[in-house]
Amino acid sequence: MDFFEKIASLFTNEKYMQIIWKGFTTTIYISLGAMVLGLVLGTLVALVGLSKKSKIMVIPKAICKVYVTVIRGTPMALQLFIMAYVVFAIRNFPQILTAIIAFGVNSGAYVSENIRAGILSVDIGQTEAGRALGLSNATTMLHIVIPQAIKNVIPAIGNELIALIKETSIVSMIGMFDLTNAAKIIGSGQNMASYLIPMTVVALFYLAIVYLLTLVIKIIEKRLRASDKR
Amino acid sequence: MINVKNLYKDFGKCRVIDALSCDIKDNECVVVIGPSGSGKSTFLRCLNSLEEPTYGEIWFDGKMLTPPDPYLHPDIIKASNTYKKLTSGNTDSEDAVAKIKKEDLLKRHEGREYASLLKKFDAENHLDINIARQRMGMVFQHFNLFNNLTVMDNLTLAPVKLKLKTKEQAESKAMELLERIGLPEKKDEYPSKLSGGQKQRIAIIRALCMEPEVMLFDEPTSALDPEMVGEVLDVMKSLAKTGMTMICVTHEMGFAREVADRVLFMDSGKILEEGTPEEIFQNPKSERLKSFLAKVF
Repeated sequence: MDFFEKIASLFTNEKYMQIIWKGFTTTIYISLGAMVLGLVLGTLVALVGLSKKSKIMVIPKAICKVYVTVIRGTPMALQLFIMAYVVFAIRNFPQILTAIIAFGVNSGAYVSENIRAGILSVDIGQTEAGRALGLSNATTMLHIVIPQAIKNVIPAIGNELIALIKETSIVSMIGMFDLTNAAKIIGSGQNMASYLIPMTVVALFYLAIVYLLTLVIKIIEKRLRASDKR
Repeated sequence: MINVKNLYKDFGKCRVIDALSCDIKDNECVVVIGPSGSGKSTFLRCLNSLEEPTYGEIWFDGKMLTPPDPYLHPDIIKASNTYKKLTSGNTDSEDAVAKIKKEDLLKRHEGREYASLLKKFDAENHLDINIARQRMGMVFQHFNLFNNLTVMDNLTLAPVKLKLKTKEQAESKAMELLERIGLPEKKDEYPSKLSGGQKQRIAIIRALCMEPEVMLFDEPTSALDPEMVGEVLDVMKSLAKTGMTMICVTHEMGFAREVADRVLFMDSGKILEEGTPEEIFQNPKSERLKSFLAKVF
């Protein structure tokens, strides 16, 4: 059998496909969960970081700063281990939740920096014009600054989400069964006895997910650019 | 309408506005002229607290929209610990008050009596800045139309969000104003599709949609092509004819001459000279104004 036939045979083998499907769903669940958590966390942290200096905000601001510094300054795999073996070392705690939280918290730190940059990239005149009309800071942010900031950060956030999806492949290190791990298990099985074929197939899966995400991001970007000449 | 009391504004060590006081009356059109860096724009931005004054108070329609400035109130100074220490119990010493004022001796914490007096004065006269801004329109040098909204949404956002008008009322008002400036067909365009002159005219009516009592213009024509300056000035002139209270910072001397009730000449943070356009342009008194006018004309 040549290479392509072998790949096709893997797709038609029900047992292999079941293993891959199981890994695929795990990867998707972790990615989606972590994306949502990361975006929410990142937005919150960015807004706290950019809020006006005041007495009540001193501590939240400090926490956010430490959070971003620590998360960006330590390896993802290490953070995953700490989450799995220290923070959530609770019997029967679902592993998938551990993974979602670990990746979400990690992604949030990067997203917050992207969003912060996006908000700062909106001309200060926009805020001033809103405030000069008597709108509150919150209304100005919500209706004027953030819509423009989002448009500016979509490419960077897209980048971050793509990186996140691929990074989830390290969950096999805490014994989770994701796409990458599925390839390893199939490859080490007696009938296959080769890593090349399952790894290639799984690579195609990752490629497909990322490509789909890229398309979605492009569509969103195009919609948001309606108010631009470009 | 607006009273500026002993206004100071420092940016770091640089004093941009220096002990400026002036009163602006109802229905008056005041034009502020002066060389670049003389503090004209900063002065205007202080009026609606886009810049926070370092010292001094701004009063709008009998209410104060800055925090109270203790240096303006001798009775508050007299309640301070510094004053008590200086006079060592002696209750009435104008010298001590003058010394404190001159040398900026008040600290942040000056005892309970001082704090309560300051708080009381603030509570009696305070006007919320957002309310004040609703009643003061502002037009910027760089238009600052909201790029993410259509012209119509630019015009109606503030009145609708602040619940001053229903959406229908705001839209009919906006259409009326758009027709007045001759741009009704632009209502669904985004700002990026408009020329500079069109943007600025729409920025003016965006402020007018709030039905303000005062309009502040911060060099409204400085970022425009010479060709487009006229159309913006025409809108401003017709606005002045309706009796709107206006404060314009501008380099358009022709406009100042034609429309202003009063011209203020500012240099290095102070009002050097003020008067009717005739007094300022025909009979300038100070050397600084003479040399400024010689360069402008």
